[in-house]
Amino acid sequence: MAVALTPAMLGQVVVSGLLAGALYAMVALGLALIFGVMRVINIAHGPMLMLGAYTTWLLFDRFGMNPYLTLPVSAAAMFVLGALLQRTLVFRVVDAPELSSLLLTFGVSIALVNVAQLLFTSDLRSVEFLTGSIALGPIAISKSRAIACAFAAAITGLAFLFLQHTKLGKAIRATSQSREVALVCGIDVQRIHLIAFGLASALAACGGTLVAVMVAIQPEMGQIWTFKSFLVIVLGGAGNYPGALLGGLLLGLVEQLASLFLTTQLSEAVAYVLLVLALLVRPSGLLGGRQT
Amino acid sequence: MTPRALTALLIALILVTGSLPVAAQGPIRIGASLSLTGTYAQPGRYQHEGYQLCQKDLNAKGGVLNRPVEFVVYDDQSNPATGVRLYEKLITEDKVDGVMGPYSSAISEAVANVTEKYHKVNVSPLAATTSIFRKGRKYMFMVISPAEVYLEGLIDIAAKRGLKTVAIINEDTLFPKTSAQGTAELAKKAGLQVVFTEAYPKGNQDFSALLTKLKAANADVLAAATYFDDAVAIARQMKELSVNPKMFGVTVGGDIPKFQELLKATADYIYGSSQWEASLPYPGAREFHDAYVKQFSQEPSYHSAAGYAGCMLYAEGVKKAGSLDADKVREALLALKTRTMFGDYQVDKDGFQVAHKMVLLQWQDGKRVVVWPDDLANAKPRFPTPPWNAR
Repeated sequence: MAVALTPAMLGQVVVSGLLAGALYAMVALGLALIFGVMRVINIAHGPMLMLGAYTTWLLFDRFGMNPYLTLPVSAAAMFVLGALLQRTLVFRVVDAPELSSLLLTFGVSIALVNVAQLLFTSDLRSVEFLTGSIALGPIAISKSRAIACAFAAAITGLAFLFLQHTKLGKAIRATSQSREVALVCGIDVQRIHLIAFGLASALAACGGTLVAVMVAIQPEMGQIWTFKSFLVIVLGGAGNYPGALLGGLLLGLVEQLASLFLTTQLSEAVAYVLLVLALLVRPSGLLGGRQT
Repeated sequence: MTPRALTALLIALILVTGSLPVAAQGPIRIGASLSLTGTYAQPGRYQHEGYQLCQKDLNAKGGVLNRPVEFVVYDDQSNPATGVRLYEKLITEDKVDGVMGPYSSAISEAVANVTEKYHKVNVSPLAATTSIFRKGRKYMFMVISPAEVYLEGLIDIAAKRGLKTVAIINEDTLFPKTSAQGTAELAKKAGLQVVFTEAYPKGNQDFSALLTKLKAANADVLAAATYFDDAVAIARQMKELSVNPKMFGVTVGGDIPKFQELLKATADYIYGSSQWEASLPYPGAREFHDAYVKQFSQEPSYHSAAGYAGCMLYAEGVKKAGSLDADKVREALLALKTRTMFGDYQVDKDGFQVAHKMVLLQWQDGKRVVVWPDDLANAKPRFPTPPWNAR
């Protein structure tokens, strides 16, 4: 049973979509970074987000910290964990066939979820911090989602500046374009891999912190983010960093508009139809793959 | 007699009689799969604790048929296909003596085919969907009230207070779907108009577009056929999007203490339905509550109580039958009429529950109180629910 569509509803849904999309873009940028530099699809990307969310919950619940101030802590913690994972496990599959890296990161993902289950149990946790909304005419803007969007936009912006203008950022992009040439130019590729994986995990952790204030936290919350990030980077062009931004916003909008015009059930299907279409029509993504 | 002689005598006695009497044939092993992780983990774990306490209490009273009782429990990860595999394993590999039901209608429906195939009595304490028990199955037994009447109280109060329109949303799985249909029927009977319905997929966390549509439909009552995770997410996002019905009720979730722990003040005014409350005047309800709090350091939910009661009812059936034979236990459970700490139990020829009663709760100042039906209520409903920005 449906209701008549009004411009206010459309506006509300577009706002919700963009708010969600900014977050998708930030998290997916991490996945794009790992894929760009190492040609590894990191299935454990979502579970890293989940661990970031738990870090925030722990600091909020135990020490009463402002959840937004936990952002650097969870980012730093996941940077270290990510770098550690890269150094001990992931570096072994960088040049192996893609199936090996998928299997490895899938295994890591299962391990992380189970560790979280042991540490935190599967009880839902929440960070009740900012609830409610600001009214903007007929449109309600959720406080926690608006702040999450602002943070995500700022962090994504910083990440781009870093990639564009710093020496390390340029080295990452160079490695992403051609590892051999980068190596010849004297870039320590191993170190770049390590840093890229750490950075990507930190981006996921930032997503986790911001999501923690919005939805309930549980060990299996991360998987859906792996899929969404994957969808985003396929849409935007795997390994193409600005493409991740575009793909994120697009996915946010499409999901919301599909739920509005069709049903919530169909919106997931629409997102995956989009994935199939993208692979059929523009397999290199909207902005083309691997340009950086 | 010297101590050594005493010991020798004891050993001789044990040798002659076989062993200590209670352990005569080893424990009665009862198998079950439960949702210990995944979407249904919250209620599933409460049910698990109900089973654990039942095992403890049965064994403290000498077990069943002079044998101790032991649960063999696996995690089905809230997944019906996994549940099916686990019941096959429990029955064929672990060779358990009996089984108890899993959590949720969807998983109960799936595993019922397995337990029927092997002729195992399956008391399924948290299966609420009528259709599970109307398929000619012989060994299924229902403990709780059916899905269709979960929100009867919400509709009844709404109609009596003169509300006119209702919106119904549900997770698209067996129990919530049935519950939503039942609520729509009840609403029509009570003269309310259903102005909006929509289902959402299991595990959905983003309700913004759904709630935007719902807000535009501007219904007086929002009835949500939920489990736990979705009830929490919907409540939060209603506040985010300023969706303000005069009454908002959920099927599963509103009754669980964690609902308020997670949502804090956001939970206030929300109605939840419950199969059981510790405050209800059933024999042993208070004692069960106290023992549960002592054992698990948390308040029981109705899922805990139903799990406990279901396990006790199965034990009662076995005792009355005097054996574990499925057909004899079935006869005993079909004939049984009793009032337990969980309320009344009586089933029809299909094992369908006909005696148990539900209540409607409301969260008021961080506490849940019973507001319906009048004869069991311990508080008046706070009506209407004020808009979010006026609290």
